[in-house]
Amino acid sequence: MKLITAVIKPFKLDEVKSALQAFGVQGMTVSEASGYGRQRGHTEVYRGAEYQVDLVPKVRLEVLCDDEDADDLIGVVVKSAQTGRIGDGKVWCAPVDTVVRVRTGERGPGAL
Amino acid sequence: MGGPCGEPARAGRLASFAADRARRTASADRWLASLLGGEPGVALVAVGGYGRRELVPGSDLDVLLLHTARQGIAALADRIWYPIWDSGTRLDHAVRRPADAREVARRDVRVALGLLHARHVAGDPGLTGELRSGALADWRAAAGTRLAELHALHKERTARSGELAFLLEPDLKEARGGLRDAEAIHAVAAAWVAPGPGPRARAAQEAILDARHALHEVTGRSSDRLVLQEQDEVARVLGLAHADALLSHLAGAGRTIAYALDHSLRAAQRSRPGASPGGRPRGGRGRGGPQRRPLADGVVEQDGEVVLARPADPAADPVLVLRAAAAAAEAGLALAPRTLARLGQCPPLPVPWPSGARDALVTLLGTGQAAIGAWETLDQEGMLCDLIPGWDRVRNRPQRNPLHIFTVDRHLVETAARAAALTRDVARPDLLLIAALLHDIGKGWPGDHRVTGEVVTRQITRRMGLAAEDTELVARAVRHHLLLPHMATRRDLDDPQTAAQVAAAVGGRPLLELLHALAIADGQATGPAAWNDWKAGLVAGLVRRVEAVLGGGPPPVPLPLRPGQAALAEAGQPAAMVTGSEVTVVAPDRPGLLWQAAGVLAAHRLAVRSANATTHGAMAVTSFTVAQPYGEPPDAALVTSDLRRALAGDLDVAELLKRQGLRTPPQRARPPWLAPPKVTLADDASRAATVVEVRAHNAPGLLWRIGRALGDCGLDVRAARVETLGVEAVDVFYVVGADGRPVTDAATRGLIAAQVLSALTGASHPADVRQAGDLRRMP
Repeated sequence: MKLITAVIKPFKLDEVKSALQAFGVQGMTVSEASGYGRQRGHTEVYRGAEYQVDLVPKVRLEVLCDDEDADDLIGVVVKSAQTGRIGDGKVWCAPVDTVVRVRTGERGPGAL
Repeated sequence: MGGPCGEPARAGRLASFAADRARRTASADRWLASLLGGEPGVALVAVGGYGRRELVPGSDLDVLLLHTARQGIAALADRIWYPIWDSGTRLDHAVRRPADAREVARRDVRVALGLLHARHVAGDPGLTGELRSGALADWRAAAGTRLAELHALHKERTARSGELAFLLEPDLKEARGGLRDAEAIHAVAAAWVAPGPGPRARAAQEAILDARHALHEVTGRSSDRLVLQEQDEVARVLGLAHADALLSHLAGAGRTIAYALDHSLRAAQRSRPGASPGGRPRGGRGRGGPQRRPLADGVVEQDGEVVLARPADPAADPVLVLRAAAAAAEAGLALAPRTLARLGQCPPLPVPWPSGARDALVTLLGTGQAAIGAWETLDQEGMLCDLIPGWDRVRNRPQRNPLHIFTVDRHLVETAARAAALTRDVARPDLLLIAALLHDIGKGWPGDHRVTGEVVTRQITRRMGLAAEDTELVARAVRHHLLLPHMATRRDLDDPQTAAQVAAAVGGRPLLELLHALAIADGQATGPAAWNDWKAGLVAGLVRRVEAVLGGGPPPVPLPLRPGQAALAEAGQPAAMVTGSEVTVVAPDRPGLLWQAAGVLAAHRLAVRSANATTHGAMAVTSFTVAQPYGEPPDAALVTSDLRRALAGDLDVAELLKRQGLRTPPQRARPPWLAPPKVTLADDASRAATVVEVRAHNAPGLLWRIGRALGDCGLDVRAARVETLGVEAVDVFYVVGADGRPVTDAATRGLIAAQVLSALTGASHPADVRQAGDLRRMP
């Protein structure tokens, strides 16, 4: 099993959520996050006005999936979250040892 | 139960629930009597809810076995308790002598509360009577301490369980306005310091008790929390149409109980010798009668409560309701019950409202958290529905939304209260507060609440007598109140199209400012899940970008002179004129003119509502609109003469103000709801002057203090436009340095802002004063 974590631009959440649902993902965890990546210290220039940006608001999305679905899911997230501009975010995938459904006590892929 | 807005009385199964409780109680009484048998020297006493005959399916049996130190009491107790335990009935029991029971009650307020309703069930009635009269006498004897403990318990419950009226899954017993609070009203009355619950509070208590009864029946458990999944079934059992009707019904009942308990607790507090709410000493009733402190026209404080002044005539003064509520909120005090009864005689406000009514409404809302209590008072006294048509449609209306924690009407008031902290960030604080109060009013009608809200808002604001352009701005703020949060979270902020779209929708800075403040207040008043730094950051980011698209707007400019004023100026002589509420001052232009005139007016207890200063040739013309906060109107001849003396330099205005200051009661500390004043500097379009914008809470002598601070910086006020919106002053001064040019040096501009700010907050730092002294020597 894998845990896929994506940090994306907030306005892309609905699009990514719909794409994941269309793919068949049944559950996800979404949290409001702030951070920066390579654009650290970057100053937005907007119509001649400059604004110093420290931490940029982002959305963090987590999905658990089977090993064989991981690559496809990453593709779905990347495709739906992409604007092509700086600050689009990151997606990463990590192995997961155990998953337990709290209500029933089911373990492993059956708990996904 | 009939509500303040004339809710229809609901019949149905109410009688059967009460009858069922009486039947359960009678049956338990018979059972206990049979278990006790004919034993001498003992009595079984029902206490708590059982004592009050309020047994519902999940209730405990609260029973006390009283005895006179007889032998074998333990065996007798076992003989009674075991059959009860064996039956599965939950039992809360104690075995005591009357004196011991009273001793335990003296140590524990909860036990004392239970004994207030002690009821004889079986055995020796003399024992029960001894306990009952003794417990009640103890309660009255120690009323001061006991009621303080009761108050503390109430506060602790509110903090833990929230408010019954506004929660989506309320605890019917523990929440504020729930059954424990209803019992507390009886407990205060038992101490003989306040009347018992009135018919509305008793009906509300029955309504909540019925809901608890139905909840226990539906769930078969004893939990008192009305969770979402049980609400439809409980509503059906109670004969109500659906869960929303149930919550709305309970909200009405919970508010009634909470309001009645507040009244009782205040009466209890006032009855304590030497104490009054707010910790101020009570006014003596000596030779001069009770001490009264004027708060507003026709409204005074007396003994820690707000009452009507002797000359006030409610029957002839439709604005008095709002003025009294605003004064009470500003002073952080409650309206006295007898005053509320008299305010009921006020005729409805004429349509459109007079400006005094709008000012009072904005003043009330501008008090922030204090406004919530005053608003609740107006609601409970049935005065709101006449004031704001359509309010009854959102009153007690639940919101099926995991983000919302309040009913629609409370959410609106909470939003206005939070908007009060943001009044310095907008050019029109009055419109912000009105828009906050109305932004979700459309939820009372079917369809998109933003669209219906816009229509209803136009009707209400026209009725309030807002100017056409102000009505338009408020209506559009209601229409677009979700625009910024939606766009900020769902659109790409880096895409110039996003900012351009928002800019096109809002059209200008005034609406953008209103929407930004409204989004913050709305989010905060929705609930902790709806607003946080993350969302605030996104919205602020969007607003910055839209501001860049819209560009800066010009500051307000002084109004042109009317022909009469121009003629007066052309006469070329210093003159002062008082006509009705307008005071016009004409004099050769020189530094300090504006604030000296303002100082004279303040010394005559005239509150400057607006001022317009401009020049006509070599003459400065300033017109003030003034109001008398209270008391007899001042003598126009005396004001004119003092103004002339001040213009001629024959009157020391500072000294005059100082003398006047000594005669007025000391101002209380700055209330916590007050947003701090704000001072910003900009340049006017022609770059001929520096524009100092001041936003502050209005106070006596405000204009004098600002003007003197500008004068201390060596600045000359060329023109000014001063407005008071409710209690918020929005002032613009066009100033130049000693050289007649605008101030360009950034450090000097910073010092000017700091100097004005310190004059407003009353904090005067030696460093600021020294730097200001340096400023005067600038070339």
